[in-house]
Amino acid sequence: MIHFENVSKRFPGGHYGVSNITLNIESGALAFITGHSGAGKSTLLRLIALLERPTRGQLLIDGRNIGRLPEKEIPAHRRKIGLIFQDHRLLNDRSVFDNVALPLHVRGFPVREVGKRVRASLDKVGLLKKEKVLPITLSSGEQQRVGIARAIVSRPPILLADEPTGNLDPELSREIMDLFLAFNQLGITTLIASHDLDLIKKLGRPVINLQQGELT
Amino acid sequence: MRVTLSARISAWIDQHQRSAYSSYMEMRRRPLAAMMTLLVIGITLALPASLLSLLKISQTLTGDHQQNASISLFLKNGIVDQKALRVAADLEQQPQIDHVELLTSADAMEEFRSHSGFGDALDALDDNPLPNVLLIHLTPDNSSIDIRKLAAELKEESVTDSIEYDQGWIERMQAITQAIRRAVQALGFGLGLAVMLIIGNTIRLEIMNRREEIEVTRLVGGSDDFIRRPFLYIGLIYGLFGALIAWLLVSILLMLVSGPLGRLAELYDTAISLSAFSLHALLLLIPIGISFGLAGAWLAVNRHLSSINPE
Repeated sequence: MIHFENVSKRFPGGHYGVSNITLNIESGALAFITGHSGAGKSTLLRLIALLERPTRGQLLIDGRNIGRLPEKEIPAHRRKIGLIFQDHRLLNDRSVFDNVALPLHVRGFPVREVGKRVRASLDKVGLLKKEKVLPITLSSGEQQRVGIARAIVSRPPILLADEPTGNLDPELSREIMDLFLAFNQLGITTLIASHDLDLIKKLGRPVINLQQGELT
Repeated sequence: MRVTLSARISAWIDQHQRSAYSSYMEMRRRPLAAMMTLLVIGITLALPASLLSLLKISQTLTGDHQQNASISLFLKNGIVDQKALRVAADLEQQPQIDHVELLTSADAMEEFRSHSGFGDALDALDDNPLPNVLLIHLTPDNSSIDIRKLAAELKEESVTDSIEYDQGWIERMQAITQAIRRAVQALGFGLGLAVMLIIGNTIRLEIMNRREEIEVTRLVGGSDDFIRRPFLYIGLIYGLFGALIAWLLVSILLMLVSGPLGRLAELYDTAISLSAFSLHALLLLIPIGISFGLAGAWLAVNRHLSSINPE
């Protein structure tokens, strides 16, 4: 599903985000990416979502080399991916419902379908009753769950989460991870960057460890 | 997912409605700023539009007058009434001439006596000094060149003493209005550009304000078209409402000048309907407002949108 072949990302100025990564992630897998801050966890995820382009090597997703994907095709590529961020990246001027509905709107879903899917998605993360409130009125854990609802609402084949539990206490972190495990059960290929090593150990899933941009 | 065509169309309509509505709400959020921008656009558009309206009115006045253009042909002394009538009948054969009226010297004297107040003085004259006159009424579709040519021909007629026609000032008037029209068009073009820039700048600010929304939309796979759409709608809305304000201003102006204009029209023996000009201005302003609005938005969006990419 996701295949890195000697992929490097060199930033202007000479600093490497990741260097010479070769990695294969099977369809339907769930893996953690660990490492210190600055080890390249985020860069790895950003490469997959084409928020960065690799400077060297081949990055195949679904058998397609996305390194050279034309700008125009980037939106279509991103629609295959649900993205989750540590800082949620919710829009605070609109309701929880509208935040979660955004990925469906950009895909041109019919209105009725949007309502059904958004509520199904909010139900999965346990926030069905909060659809009308503004995200800013929610707790950090709840906001993160809104972010997750937004990422899964369009049922993408790939889910990428960058430090999704970074700001949460252990109990909430566990809840969030359980959500990811549940979505993975449905066949979504999931990559989670995290430095919550204790929690990761408990979950017993494959771990990709990065150090200074390289696999260890 | 299977999507039927009708569902696709309704989704498309829904997307546009959502974009238009969100643009409208965005403007509502800063009503004062939006109102000021609209006023600026309205005034800017109203200036050339009202000038064009006034021009059109003046053209209607002179145009109507030209339809009644006539040539006075003063017959030589000694051309008696019978002969004058024959000449008149001959002239009526000509295609440019609608009909010919004979004003005999006696008629002319009578008219002069009653209008001039020199009645007593005229009584002192031994005989009538006034010539017979043929009032030649022309058909309406003569150009000023036609009229001038006809006048030259008539002047050569053996019966003609002299001729007079009031073409001169009409021609001058037409030349002046033509020049003014050009100037107004150029002014309108310049002010149209100004409107485009005003709207473009407004959209630029709007894009900066909604930076985060644009970034997040890109993150979830929103295409450029999708991101562009609400901003184009803002341009369209500004253009449309700006045009409506301009129209309101033009209508007020027309109302203000309707009194004097009505009297002027009376003098020209024509009636002018200001509502027709008002409607004309509306039909002109709306497409112009919308297209300048869209063009300004398009420019701003293409310039600034590509610079916003998610972190």
